[in-house]
Amino acid sequence: MLNPFSARQRARVRAFFGKPANIILVAFCAVLSVLTLYPLILLLLETVTVHAGKEVTSIKLPRGSFTLYSLKNIFATSRFNYSQLTFYQPLFNTLAVALTASLIAILFGGGVAWLITRTNLKCKKFISSVFVFPYIMPAWTLATFWATFFKNVNVGAGTSNGIMAAVFGIYMPEWFVYGYFPISLVLGLHYAPFAYILIGGILRNMDANLEEAATILKTRRWRMMMRITLPIVKPALLSTLLLVFSSAMSAYSVPIFLGSPVRYYVLSTKMMSLINNFPGQGYIIAAVMIIFGVSILAVNQKITGSRKSYTTVTGKSSQISLVNLRGGNWPIAIILTVLMILVAVVPLITFALESVIIKAGDYSLSNMTLDFWIGRNLNYLDQGDSTGILLSAKVLKALGYSLLLAITCSVVAGTSGVLVGYGIVKRRGSKLSTLVSNLSFFPYLMPSLAFGAIYLAMSTRVPGLQGFAVLALIGSVKYLPFASRSGVNAMLQLSGEIEEAAVIVGVPWYKRMIRILFPIQKSSFLSGYLLPMVSCMRELSLFVLLVPTSNTLLTTMLMQYSEKGWAQFGNAINLMIIIVVLLVNFLVNKVTGASIDKGVGG
Amino acid sequence: MPEIILKNVTKRFGKFVAVDNLDLYIADRSFITLLGPSGCGKTTTLRMIAGLETPTEGEILIDGETVFSAEKGINVPPNKRDVGFLFQNYALWPHMTVYQNIAFGLENLKWEKKKIKSRVEEMLALLKIEQFVKRYPSELSGGQQQRVAIARTLAPSPKVLFMDEPLSNLDAKLRQEMRTELKRLHSDTNSTFVYVTHDQLEAMTLSTQVCLMNNGLLQQYDPPLKIYGGPANLFVAEFVGNPTMNFIPADVVKLEGNRVELTMLGKKALFQARDNVENLGEKAVLGVRPEFLPIQDGGAVKGHVYSTLPTGMETTVKVTCGDTMLTSVVFGNVDYPVDMPISLSANGDQLMLFDQQSGNAVGQGSLTIMD
Repeated sequence: MLNPFSARQRARVRAFFGKPANIILVAFCAVLSVLTLYPLILLLLETVTVHAGKEVTSIKLPRGSFTLYSLKNIFATSRFNYSQLTFYQPLFNTLAVALTASLIAILFGGGVAWLITRTNLKCKKFISSVFVFPYIMPAWTLATFWATFFKNVNVGAGTSNGIMAAVFGIYMPEWFVYGYFPISLVLGLHYAPFAYILIGGILRNMDANLEEAATILKTRRWRMMMRITLPIVKPALLSTLLLVFSSAMSAYSVPIFLGSPVRYYVLSTKMMSLINNFPGQGYIIAAVMIIFGVSILAVNQKITGSRKSYTTVTGKSSQISLVNLRGGNWPIAIILTVLMILVAVVPLITFALESVIIKAGDYSLSNMTLDFWIGRNLNYLDQGDSTGILLSAKVLKALGYSLLLAITCSVVAGTSGVLVGYGIVKRRGSKLSTLVSNLSFFPYLMPSLAFGAIYLAMSTRVPGLQGFAVLALIGSVKYLPFASRSGVNAMLQLSGEIEEAAVIVGVPWYKRMIRILFPIQKSSFLSGYLLPMVSCMRELSLFVLLVPTSNTLLTTMLMQYSEKGWAQFGNAINLMIIIVVLLVNFLVNKVTGASIDKGVGG
Repeated sequence: MPEIILKNVTKRFGKFVAVDNLDLYIADRSFITLLGPSGCGKTTTLRMIAGLETPTEGEILIDGETVFSAEKGINVPPNKRDVGFLFQNYALWPHMTVYQNIAFGLENLKWEKKKIKSRVEEMLALLKIEQFVKRYPSELSGGQQQRVAIARTLAPSPKVLFMDEPLSNLDAKLRQEMRTELKRLHSDTNSTFVYVTHDQLEAMTLSTQVCLMNNGLLQQYDPPLKIYGGPANLFVAEFVGNPTMNFIPADVVKLEGNRVELTMLGKKALFQARDNVENLGEKAVLGVRPEFLPIQDGGAVKGHVYSTLPTGMETTVKVTCGDTMLTSVVFGNVDYPVDMPISLSANGDQLMLFDQQSGNAVGQGSLTIMD
């Protein structure tokens, strides 16, 4: 026999690959394995490899050889208290910050969610729409605001006074300005909307009959809350706790702004400072973060998996009777409104203000200028650039680069999301489909900075994977979970018959996608494109390790400027990023009805 | 002309056997219904013939051409099989107007624009939906959507038309109306129809042949009246007919050629079959359609009225006879008081005798009750 396969087997293979869904699944299975599992293995290898530079001199082994030096050094070195300072203390700080932040997020976000859905609170509309603001804005917004507002010459390496000290003459103590307290608080406030969206969603969709049944049985309110409402939202609470914990754990921008001035390190900032001189140890921290992230989210998957059985959405029950806050109504509404304005509006005003004053700490009108925005030949400033940011070639190039990256990632991730969604739903229930579904969710489990570290390790080994290519690749992979989730949701809402009706009349696959499936589920599919784009614009920790020195992104430029202390430019760029992000988000919302608070979050 | 032949077609989903070794011959221009309870494999069978599902084993021929063969590795894609498919939920494309929905398939077949236009208009007229041409599916009622779906399916003039429970989403009155239209359409279009339904009334009224399936197995493949009058086994007998056939357990006393002596309902009876009775064990089940069990003064079977259900044209009377509940149908509108003593008699020569163990029909004939 010339051919080892029978006609029957060949026909089977042909039939298998005759279905586009199978081709897509096989292709993505291969590609995603390479893009997520391979770099993970590389990272683990890097932890036991000698790297060029300081490692070669201290280990005294040639570059590339096997060593346990880094492991031993970071986990078990008592000299100079090295392990304690480099690993154990930052680990402890990380856990402390993440735990506090998630508790703040749950209490604040969950509390507001309850107030909005279950009480007769005033100004509900305003509070609920402004509440998600901090989540749309980049994570460091509040951090930089906190630092610029409260900094003073007494704390950290303080060289100038912020608004609090300069205008009101109040000098806040160091624990309040930098370190554990503000990092936890700022992260907690940033993720509170996330808790609000998750818990509020459950409370809103919860069948009111469940509570009404308890009312009929003469249950008192407090008891109902404890015995009915809380147990039902408990899985959502737990899941929020875990998601916020893992996000807060891998947060980088907030601790770098609020921790490093007083040498308060968490794992992410420590890893960043190690990665240049002692890459082996940096990669070990990355691996530790990934292990934490993956295990936390695996637990979450388990919990959310069973959560479905709790939420019974009928849509039939009427609005349940709201708790009357009586005398407390106005005070609570006012406090929340003021808080919202402080968290969402005041930072923007502060950045605007800080970007127009010439000499730091002096907020008089005579000390203000628009030079940092539109000035030219500002050599007297000695701030790295001589042109205002709106005219500066450097800034505009970074803006262009950021936009180009965001668009590229959105196109790649969005299109992949549509295809993956199609494949997964078409072959639902098959092993291949489940595998691809899990692989496409995997990047979500990876802490951004550690994921960046993995790709850094990979880019040093794979030729051509540098500069823009690696940025676009990592952005696309990291945001694929958002896109594939919208893709799956969109496809699930379409009955298979819609496509089969076209199959029968011989419409080729690409035409079915373009002419039938995509147009019908336009807004769902589009949100799969736009979520990655918005996220990409405000992303810092994912790209910070990989950005080439010749080309910077707006976000990494902001980092640079703030490290160098070029406050006005920094603040102006900060404001620019926030405005671009809000603008894109607003446009997306208007055009497609898709909004960021419907996404998975992270 | 198109005839469809299925040879040993089997479809397995993992370990679950959806269709088991099915042989079927669908004659040209016939109107076949695949009938059975949900999950019996009828839709899978239809989708396999259309090419939307790939069989695990077997061979399918349409119009003499092999469109699928597991052995030879042939699998012709659906669009090359020259078939039309009408879906249960219509599957109209919501972002296209009625015109675009009908024309889209024709554009795909690379028809000329002019020809498409005249064909679409022809279809619109045939199904009386001209006035909706510019509307979107969401702006149409269920019945109108159904007509558009039919127009879209018929437009390319397929040799064979497949329909998967196309009327199940319509209300009772509209369903009746569409049934009439479909039957008319069948004779007008001169093509072969294969129709899936779980509604036995639909199968009875529409088709030339009924293919009754259960658990992936073919139960009986016959014209509707044959299925009704001479069910091949207990499953078919019970599934077809409303009210359901009476099943009376009986002990076989003596079997001689075509004569079977039975004891049933505490009486002796003689079942006289048309042909010799074979494969009958010790226990039998006598099947009597309610219309062959009329209420008659002096009837041999005595019982009490349990409940009376008048529908207007006829009345169903439930009668308890010892432990057995019997059903009788009386023409016209009658009402009996509950628990009234009543007597029934078994008439005609279309009574069925089944072997209880195998469930298979072993004879058809008449019954005489001895005492």
